[in-house]
Amino acid sequence: MVTSRATRIFDAISTHVVLGLFALLFVFPVAYALMTSFKTRGEVLTTPPTFFPSQVTLEGYQTLFFGSNGFSRPNLIPYQLPNTFINSFFSSILTIVIAALAGYTFSRYKFRGSHALQLAILGLIMIPGLTNLVPLFRIASDLHVTSTHEFIIAVYTAGGLPFTIWIVKTFFDTIPQEIEEAALIDGCNPFQALRYVLIPLAMPGLAAAFLLMFVDTWNEFLAALVLLGNDRMKTATVGLYDFQSSFETAYHVWAAACIIIMVPVLVIFLLLRKTFFEAMLQGAIKG
Amino acid sequence: MTTAVQVAASSLPQPSRPRRRSNWLPLWFLLPAIVILVALQVVPTLYSFYLSTTTIKPTDTGVTDVEVGLDNYATLLQSQTFRDSLWHTAVYAGSFLVITVALGLMLALLFNRKVRYTGFYLVLIFLPWIISDVVAGTMWRWMFQQTYGIVQVALNPIIGSSLYTSASGAMAIVVAATVWRSLAFTTLLFLSALQTVPTEVLESAAIDGANRFQRFRSVIFPLIRPTFFIVILLTSIRGINSVGLIYSITKGNPGGATQTASFYLLRTGWEQGDFGTGAAVSVILFLINIVLTILYVRYVGAGVE
Repeated sequence: MVTSRATRIFDAISTHVVLGLFALLFVFPVAYALMTSFKTRGEVLTTPPTFFPSQVTLEGYQTLFFGSNGFSRPNLIPYQLPNTFINSFFSSILTIVIAALAGYTFSRYKFRGSHALQLAILGLIMIPGLTNLVPLFRIASDLHVTSTHEFIIAVYTAGGLPFTIWIVKTFFDTIPQEIEEAALIDGCNPFQALRYVLIPLAMPGLAAAFLLMFVDTWNEFLAALVLLGNDRMKTATVGLYDFQSSFETAYHVWAAACIIIMVPVLVIFLLLRKTFFEAMLQGAIKG
Repeated sequence: MTTAVQVAASSLPQPSRPRRRSNWLPLWFLLPAIVILVALQVVPTLYSFYLSTTTIKPTDTGVTDVEVGLDNYATLLQSQTFRDSLWHTAVYAGSFLVITVALGLMLALLFNRKVRYTGFYLVLIFLPWIISDVVAGTMWRWMFQQTYGIVQVALNPIIGSSLYTSASGAMAIVVAATVWRSLAFTTLLFLSALQTVPTEVLESAAIDGANRFQRFRSVIFPLIRPTFFIVILLTSIRGINSVGLIYSITKGNPGGATQTASFYLLRTGWEQGDFGTGAAVSVILFLINIVLTILYVRYVGAGVE
């Protein structure tokens, strides 16, 4: 770019200042929750409020894990967090597998109605998620599958498929068709071509799609609220919501729960972030 | 590429006989997706359409659905609360859309300057994206709590009143929280589009004397238009459909000031058990989404597949 040295230096500094400010602003609520989680019950209710804990304590975490100070142990750690993991993990895997099959077909086979079908599937994104909650609740009640992992995993999968099929299909489109045609000529069937040729090559895109799906399902609230009635089958977000009645102003316990719920998905994000950013920047989502 | 294929190909099981691509294969590969989408998306939605023309009546054994035609819609459209909630949706989704697109584009342009060591900021800005609405809502509610809220107390000397309990203040809080949650993703979409703009084109435009704004308007924007279209479509739908943050920050308060149509749906259709009215609201929202999509396709996405 034809820019003077002075302009370049000014650009570099202003970029760092603006982005740095945004980053600081964006991290602030999380940092505040982290600090709050190390405060005592008394300190979270002081006026004016403090940012840093005046004395670091694990009281909040202790109450959250074992119950103390008159609070009984919530089901969050022993039941609801594992539930969240099971629901997110299996629905993400299932979604990726089904979306890979569909995305492969849309990317590689030209058949009548293919375009219309893709648009119809993508159009499902427009349905407000709330629309289906009451019908799904009734279906679940009729089939006696409320408060089961299986049903909510199926519901999450259906919810995630339209977007995931789109991403996976777009990613497959970027892989030249000649590559798996060679494998097909060598005699493998389409499933093998997908399994051994396309999927390894599309791994970054699939990992990005997995992360998108995992984050969404980990954080999902409304379907879990409606479809999971049994406290031991609830997910962590619903469990945290219930803190309103059980923990009221014990904000340090809330904060500890916020941090604990965040950590697993943060770890997965940090592990996959390079692949994720690369896949997204390659244009995993485009028109 | 070639090596990857060779490696991949060499690990293949040896075929016993040559196979042909059969025409019915697409069907088998699409079947799982279609079955699950029909069973858990299409059927429930149609069921919801049907429910929107019914109302529940208590019977000896429990409750039953009674068909009432379009009564639910008529009642809704006459209801001041519902019309207010539509207006709140317009304010909430509209400001969310404008702010997210403006800031997302700005941040993407900054990241795209390829100044060194900015990758770290991207990771930090992504932090809110991985947090759930309930966790985020909890954090935001505290920050604006009247007496213990760290942000509210810091703002007191400037504005002097509680944001959380004023109608426009509460709306500002939920909009800000929603922008905070989704800005990173929008930035990433814009950044991915900006990276496809060839540097040579920008350079020649600069040589021709185009300033930054002109370069953006006549070179960059036309090239990122497809992404722009997708971003405003996804952001609008998200703004209209999502309730998680409102549910956990304000619960529609104060006095219904942050009660959007989606929240109204949740309240009547789920909490109050008035399935018919809730379903009618969802049909109305679905129609709004379709109309918006058609408008966007016509006016923004022209030329986009």
